[in-house]
Amino acid sequence: MPPTHQRLFYREAIVRALRETMADDPRVFVMGQDVGAFGGAYREFDGLFAAFGPARVRDTPVAEAAMIGIGVGAAAAGLRPVVSITYMDFLMLGLDPLVNYAAKLSYKTGGQLHAPIVIKTTAGAKGQGVAHSQCIESWLMGVPGLKLVCPSNPADAYGLMVAALEDPGPVIFVDHKKLFPVPGDVPVARYRTPIGTAKIIRAGSDITIATYSYMTRVAHQAADLLINEGISCEVIDLRSLIPLDAALVAQSVARTKNLLTLEEGQVTCGVGSEVAAQVQRRLGPVRVHRVGALPAPVSSNPVLEAACIPNAQRLVDEIKFFINATNPECLHP
Amino acid sequence: MTRHEMLYSMKLIRAFENALAAHPDHGFQLLSAGEEAVAVGVCAALAPQDQLLTGGRSIGFALARGLTPAEVMAELLGKSTGTNRGKGGRGHLSAPAQGFFGAHAVVAGNISIAAGVALARLMTGDPGIAVVVFGDGASGAGILHETLNIAALWRLPVLFICNNNQLSVSTPRQAVLAPKMISDLALAYGITARTFDGMQVDIVAEAVANAVQAIRSGAGPAFLEFTSCRFAAHSTAARETRSRDELQRLRLACPIMDLTAALLTTGQINHEALATMDSDVSDKVAAALNFADASPFPDAAEALSDVF
Repeated sequence: MPPTHQRLFYREAIVRALRETMADDPRVFVMGQDVGAFGGAYREFDGLFAAFGPARVRDTPVAEAAMIGIGVGAAAAGLRPVVSITYMDFLMLGLDPLVNYAAKLSYKTGGQLHAPIVIKTTAGAKGQGVAHSQCIESWLMGVPGLKLVCPSNPADAYGLMVAALEDPGPVIFVDHKKLFPVPGDVPVARYRTPIGTAKIIRAGSDITIATYSYMTRVAHQAADLLINEGISCEVIDLRSLIPLDAALVAQSVARTKNLLTLEEGQVTCGVGSEVAAQVQRRLGPVRVHRVGALPAPVSSNPVLEAACIPNAQRLVDEIKFFINATNPECLHP
Repeated sequence: MTRHEMLYSMKLIRAFENALAAHPDHGFQLLSAGEEAVAVGVCAALAPQDQLLTGGRSIGFALARGLTPAEVMAELLGKSTGTNRGKGGRGHLSAPAQGFFGAHAVVAGNISIAAGVALARLMTGDPGIAVVVFGDGASGAGILHETLNIAALWRLPVLFICNNNQLSVSTPRQAVLAPKMISDLALAYGITARTFDGMQVDIVAEAVANAVQAIRSGAGPAFLEFTSCRFAAHSTAARETRSRDELQRLRLACPIMDLTAALLTTGQINHEALATMDSDVSDKVAAALNFADASPFPDAAEALSDVF
């Protein structure tokens, strides 16, 4: 029997999804900074240039607005581009074609045109400082017309990339810098992870932690530590932020009675705020606590970066306070 | 397109816009009186397989490209029989099946999109080219420079056309753009670029035809600037900043009157034929208005369709 799974690094799972889909579908191509022979800043495009050549793996100048605009135009005209924006911070430079054009295109043309584009970008802190570390996923969550996925492991990275490449789009695909070298088992057979489905990645009974991307690992670490304290954590990997699978979170919270949201970005108008609101719409008032970065820039200074971003010990402390608090949202003055 | 047809097309645009502006429910509209020669000259030089993209001031281009006055009027008045089922409206007319990829009302917002359309054509071997029209107001935007650079590098089959009507809402072009000619912007990227009189439809049509031919032969992108003149305020809701006297003087150089005079002088048209043309244009516009007025608004449920 041939093996059913293969061990891949996260970055290799991305390459595999792209390579397979590009071989099947001549409309799919990649454009971005250093995506060609260099193989991408995190080697997440490794080998594609050799396999498909410069016409389908296009190096671009540093011009995020035009990269996204040209990608969106090519998508509207029938291709399926993958535009790589090296850092999510620089997505800001290309928001006009993404938000004002791509997200509105199907609607404003009365269904005549669509923008099946994947914008692949990388968020999160890894020592790169105030303008190369931000997680601004929640900025996009209020834009009708966009989809947004944030995988946390190689298997989901593969499945969500395949799904994104087949979606009518536009899809924003957000990696986390610390995930690229993470290994995991990936099914050998081609599959897609449906966009808009969250997953319970750890069963528990006392509290629901709704999180995504790299913070799923922090949630696991905290949950391990809390076993000794007699607190059982259920961890949900949201995987997609648009659409948001609030139903699964609500089912969990109906059992645990406690919802903690965990993100690496800001809690103000953050992912957790939206998760909490959608869960409360389903269940009525529930106990909610939001955890995220401190309300400050993320420094490249290792001490300050670590102080800003949630880690396992901080999460343990937050959960213990939350479980015991009578009015959890008053934890922090 | 013959000179007769170009005159007819310009007259249709003028009459259509006048009728739209007089419609009590027109909301506010971006009109183009004075700039008809650019719209008609550009479209006269395009083939059916080409795609035209424009800025928000797009009525003239949509009509010159061959969209019916009825479907354009319906769209501009928000009716479900419009080109975009009433969902795009002013500044977002779109009919890609007719070679009008569409208008986009963000100033400079369609420039990179057009380069993307051109890239799709290049990669699929489609013989059509992409043509994007933008104003002098868009020429100070960074996206123009980013796109010119990539279009030149990748030899994209795209024609950049600056319809320089010399006013960005109220701000004169000289006050906000440093280059002597706007077409100078493209020269730095090795793109063939020239400036022409945009008030003469023959000149526009010939310049565009030459550029299109070069692009079709694989020469890469080209850039044309046409100097035109907007006879009315930025929109039907905007304040006019020019004096009555100045406007009267500007309107003397009218592309429709100029072509009419030229055709009369050379005996290519007579007054009887002109009268027939005018009455045909009026009938078409009246029919378009009747069609739009008789058409329903979209159902409110349409607010949630085609979003994802």
